[in-house]
Amino acid sequence: MRVAFVTPRYGPEVMGGAETAARQLAEHLVSLLGWEAEAYSTCALDHITWENVLPAGDSELNGVAVHRFPSVGGRTVGFYALDGRLRVAPAAATRRQAERWVHLNGPVVPDLLDAVAEAEADVVAFYPYLHYPVVWGIQRVDRPAILHPAAHDEPAFYLPVFRDTYGRADAICYHTVAERRLVQRVHRVADTFQMVLGLGVAEATPGGRAGGEVLGIGDRPYVVSVGRVDEHKGSTMLASFFLEYKKRHPGPLALALVGPVSAELPDDPDLVVTGVVDEADKWDIVRDAMVAVSPSALESFSLVVLEAWVERVPVVINGTCDPTREHCERSGGGLWFSSYAEFEAVLEKLVGDADLRRRLGERGRAYVDRYYQWPVLIERYARFVEAVAARGRTAPRRPGVLAPGR
Amino acid sequence: MTDVAEPDPEEGGPAVEDGDGDDAYLAQVMVEIDEEVRRKRAELPARVERELDALFLEHSPMAGRGGDLGDALRLVETSAFIDPVVPVASKRPAGALIKKSLRTANLWYVGWVAHQVSQFAAAVSRSLRLVDNRLVELQRQLDAVAVPAAPVVDAGVAGAWWTEPAIDALAGSTGRVLHAACGDGWLVVALADKGVDAYGVDPRPGAVDGADLSATDLREEDPGEHLHAVASAALGGIVLSGVVDGMTAGQRQQLLERAADRLAPEGVLVVHSVSPAVWHADSAPAEVDLAPGRPVRPQAWTLLLPGWNVEVVPGPNAQDYLVVARR
Repeated sequence: MRVAFVTPRYGPEVMGGAETAARQLAEHLVSLLGWEAEAYSTCALDHITWENVLPAGDSELNGVAVHRFPSVGGRTVGFYALDGRLRVAPAAATRRQAERWVHLNGPVVPDLLDAVAEAEADVVAFYPYLHYPVVWGIQRVDRPAILHPAAHDEPAFYLPVFRDTYGRADAICYHTVAERRLVQRVHRVADTFQMVLGLGVAEATPGGRAGGEVLGIGDRPYVVSVGRVDEHKGSTMLASFFLEYKKRHPGPLALALVGPVSAELPDDPDLVVTGVVDEADKWDIVRDAMVAVSPSALESFSLVVLEAWVERVPVVINGTCDPTREHCERSGGGLWFSSYAEFEAVLEKLVGDADLRRRLGERGRAYVDRYYQWPVLIERYARFVEAVAARGRTAPRRPGVLAPGR
Repeated sequence: MTDVAEPDPEEGGPAVEDGDGDDAYLAQVMVEIDEEVRRKRAELPARVERELDALFLEHSPMAGRGGDLGDALRLVETSAFIDPVVPVASKRPAGALIKKSLRTANLWYVGWVAHQVSQFAAAVSRSLRLVDNRLVELQRQLDAVAVPAAPVVDAGVAGAWWTEPAIDALAGSTGRVLHAACGDGWLVVALADKGVDAYGVDPRPGAVDGADLSATDLREEDPGEHLHAVASAALGGIVLSGVVDGMTAGQRQQLLERAADRLAPEGVLVVHSVSPAVWHADSAPAEVDLAPGRPVRPQAWTLLLPGWNVEVVPGPNAQDYLVVARR
């Protein structure tokens, strides 16, 4: 069986949930099942500029054949003007405006579309729903197409152009039941062949140093937030909440923000911003944290929440994020907040109660062990892919459609 | 590490076993946190809380849980006071002094306007709170008379007498065929064996757990909500078994109208129902006593599906029957 993955960025350097998920699925199909997997992607690492930094052409990464194509367009000033206008009432946007939004959001890679249309894979998997390669690629392939939406409840999700993206999928693979509920609330695709899969979580690979040592804060206790340090990911909100918490609860507690930084945060001794760290350092930091916080409201799965549970660290999540809340409610491994008062009450409780932290951490770990182990997940995904291949290309396609940029 | 079980990503209750009474303990923790939140709301400076909560809402989902009316009202209330004493901090030399001078010079004017705007906002906020109180009271009264969801009773099992006529009616369907309530997928598998592209939904918690959820397309979903998320004329067939029996007339009508809309023009509707007499027998399951409605007699289906070609296949001993309807 041969599966082609189409994703706007691909590689271990990429910090993005959907892109990481695509790479992990591809690599596990190769390593655990001996299947062939290939990736069609861009030369970009940055999801805003789409600057071509990786060489175009064919290469191999962990057994996966990677085909990279240069982006001929990234976000411009025009994007922000249009985005600002459309996000007020995205569902009311015209089809033309929505297509324009996709084009300006980038990456514009017409050569990738031509290559995917010619791909000799048994199944083509598109990941995530939001970008040009997926929006236009899924319309052009004549192979069975699986859409991995990685959908968030964000303004763009409601743009009319995505009706066709969902409508042209022969099968949909969701991360969580909450994600399926979101998609089916907006797009009438409940009859599409589908599954809820999620992602596997690897065992921790710590470096053996104390987390405080890695962070440079010695023995100070800390809470951690791993992932893009980005305004849209809730990082600035978390920093503001934490600093207010510290005003009202003076003491040594610090907040460590671990991941690539694109938000401006206050310079404060209670905030430790690490930037990108290697895997060993990340696991060391997570293991010794009192609590892991996921402030983002826009997640479709959140690997970092599950990684905290691997180390039996309790989590605190944004209560308006249905997928992470689904994890917490089903596992009993975390608490949530939907306002500053709730954040303060939850953090105060967790910081002051070691037994509560232990119990939540144990339940989180049990949840990960039971549901999110790669060998089981990849077997389920493989059976799903085989079924999709056997069903063939069932969704109507528009072979003559030309993507903007041609 | 615990044993790796077949994952069950479908929803339905806590997914992790309760250990050491953890569920009760966590419920108590949540109660304590809720009490603490109420206490903190009373002591937090209004402006601080308003600014931080506005920051939280800035990137909240379009229609997620942040859409709660109570939370929205709380935000309105904390935003009702317009502070005329603007901050004067500045990074520029003498900036703070200049700002402070401007503030002092304009405070009498800005303060007068701000006072009126605050009064207006407070009046609106009070009105909204009254509306909310009325809505909460109405909701409470409605809850007392609300019609409960109809339970699924006798959805069928593999080898049921009506399997063959149902499959015969659906053979050759050009679109996907939905089975609700599908249980472990016994009919979906039987239809697939005959080359029919079938899938199933079942609202009962854990009903689809036994199935191989990667090869068979089964989901834990309410049939009505599921059909709401299906496009018009998308389905080749719909099988309803154990679903309509206990519905009220209104619930049944709504479901049938929705099913009719989702079926392609040549689509087939198959309904399995028990006879009313069975519902009242002592041997009937306890759920029937809790059901808001009762099954109808076979002849009622020509009235329920006007304009359809309705064929009724009686079951053995007049215990149940199958309806096959085509337009």
